[in-house]
Amino acid sequence: MPRIYVHPLPVRIWHWANAFGFVALIATGVQIRYIELVHVMSFKTAVNLHNGIGWILVGNFFLWLLFYLFTDKIRVYHPELSPVKHFRASFRQLQYYGYGIFKGEPNPHHLSVYQKFNALQSMTYQIIMLLLVPLQFVTGILLWDLKRFSYWVDLFGGVRVVDTVHVLLFIFFTGFIFVHPYLASLGHTPSAHFKAMITGYEEVDEEPVPQAPAK
Amino acid sequence: MNALRRLRAGAATAAVLLMLATMPPVPAHAADRLSEDDRKCLACHAQEGITKTFEKGDTLALRVDGEQFARSIHAPLGCAACHSEVDLKSHPGGGTRFDTAREFAVAQAGACRQCHEEVFKQHQGSIHALRLGEGNPVAPTCAGCHGSHSVSPKTAYQTCVTCHAAALAEHRGWLPNAESHHEVVSCAACHAPAALRMVDLRLYDRTARTWVAEKEGQPWFEKLARSIDADGNGLDAAELRSLLKAINPEGTAVPKTLRGRIELRAGVEAHRLSEKSKALKACDNCHREGAEPFQNVAVSVTGPDGRPRRHTAQKQVLGSALAVESLPEFYAIGGTRSTFLDVLFLIALLGGIAFPAGHMTVRWLYRKFFA
Repeated sequence: MPRIYVHPLPVRIWHWANAFGFVALIATGVQIRYIELVHVMSFKTAVNLHNGIGWILVGNFFLWLLFYLFTDKIRVYHPELSPVKHFRASFRQLQYYGYGIFKGEPNPHHLSVYQKFNALQSMTYQIIMLLLVPLQFVTGILLWDLKRFSYWVDLFGGVRVVDTVHVLLFIFFTGFIFVHPYLASLGHTPSAHFKAMITGYEEVDEEPVPQAPAK
Repeated sequence: MNALRRLRAGAATAAVLLMLATMPPVPAHAADRLSEDDRKCLACHAQEGITKTFEKGDTLALRVDGEQFARSIHAPLGCAACHSEVDLKSHPGGGTRFDTAREFAVAQAGACRQCHEEVFKQHQGSIHALRLGEGNPVAPTCAGCHGSHSVSPKTAYQTCVTCHAAALAEHRGWLPNAESHHEVVSCAACHAPAALRMVDLRLYDRTARTWVAEKEGQPWFEKLARSIDADGNGLDAAELRSLLKAINPEGTAVPKTLRGRIELRAGVEAHRLSEKSKALKACDNCHREGAEPFQNVAVSVTGPDGRPRRHTAQKQVLGSALAVESLPEFYAIGGTRSTFLDVLFLIALLGGIAFPAGHMTVRWLYRKFFA
């Protein structure tokens, strides 16, 4: 099968660090929040691990951000400006996941270097990467040192508001961490997308059409 | 030597008589409320530089700030209540003689015991009592923590850091968010491990940056709390919100908020301080659901004497969804966990597992029966 290079090395490093880091943050988060149910380590160890991994992922986020800001690959995150086109494509994608895939229909999204996300992914990842992940990091940093950031905690509306936002996002990412690998297994083989995130190359049905880089 | 003492005593007596004769006006304000006898004592003891010299040569300042004493919690008792050994006929100069100021301070604790026997029982066996018994020269006497003539309800933290100034730096070495812990957990909550704890939700004025205090003769908090907690079973989450709405009427620019602190249920138990090695250090003493300090909750304002005026609240107020609005400034991992968020977490967890499992099952069924 023809192959195209869709996941550059910095993106792959960011992705796997983020993936394992988020699993570790969720695991330590569960231990911190539900210590009477999950007691793998002491509360303090869980908090210190959670904080340490959190800081690594904050740095990792900037690897992702700077890579996309300073390369033309940012085009993969460019939104579809026509709402009609966007929602039509999203609906087609939903139809595929909700029905077409069962009947063996082909995926309506055709992968290319600058369009590696389908319409649903495009919208979801913009929200996740530009809103939810930064918000999770900001609230986490505020909770890491409440006294030092007391001005910002007050601006948020108080420590409970900060924590509630942090926990709501933790709940969202807990659901996401199960659904994301499953959706990633829906390539032309169950392991195709996983291999692609290791090698950088996705296998495609037809010979790729060369695309002009951003001007 | 005896002649010298007699001379000193005579001179001091003459000085007392002279001062009584030319008694200066007692300072206005709070000191005006003191009794005639107390004002006579202050006629000398309010003077700068008045000291007592002990047998071994060390001295003790005898000056009493009349204003401070008048504002202290012991002012209504008067000087004689604690200094009953003073016989005005032979004063100054009479009474028991002490070798050192320290010896005098230790003995003077007996005056406290006259009224505070229960406190002494709690204090027995504490680390401070132990050190005092060993003769440690810096072990605190009653006055060491509470002051002598300015006794007033202080927060335990202010009291403790007077001697334990390095406490915060030491806690920073092992305790995450040490500053926040020092702000919201009273020292005794961890250092008196046998005592029972509670959550005190104290009303805070964010404009004045201080705790809300009732004025003398104008109590309002308990009456308001009782009127809202009509069934008398403690404020529930909705009643707590109503209380805050009553305190902060519509249009209040900077509303007063409730700030939570972990305190001891009975303040007297703060005297049961243990050795440092026995202090509570395990985080899950507080940071788990159902933790002991979160089983008793009170809402309070500061009374005119500095003591809290409390009204009971139901423990569920801490984890209620309404707490985001009512208690935005109080949160403790585990202890104030929200049931609503727990349910959402369960839904996300089960949904996260159910979606792939369900989707996979439908794909398999389609392949098996319709392919």
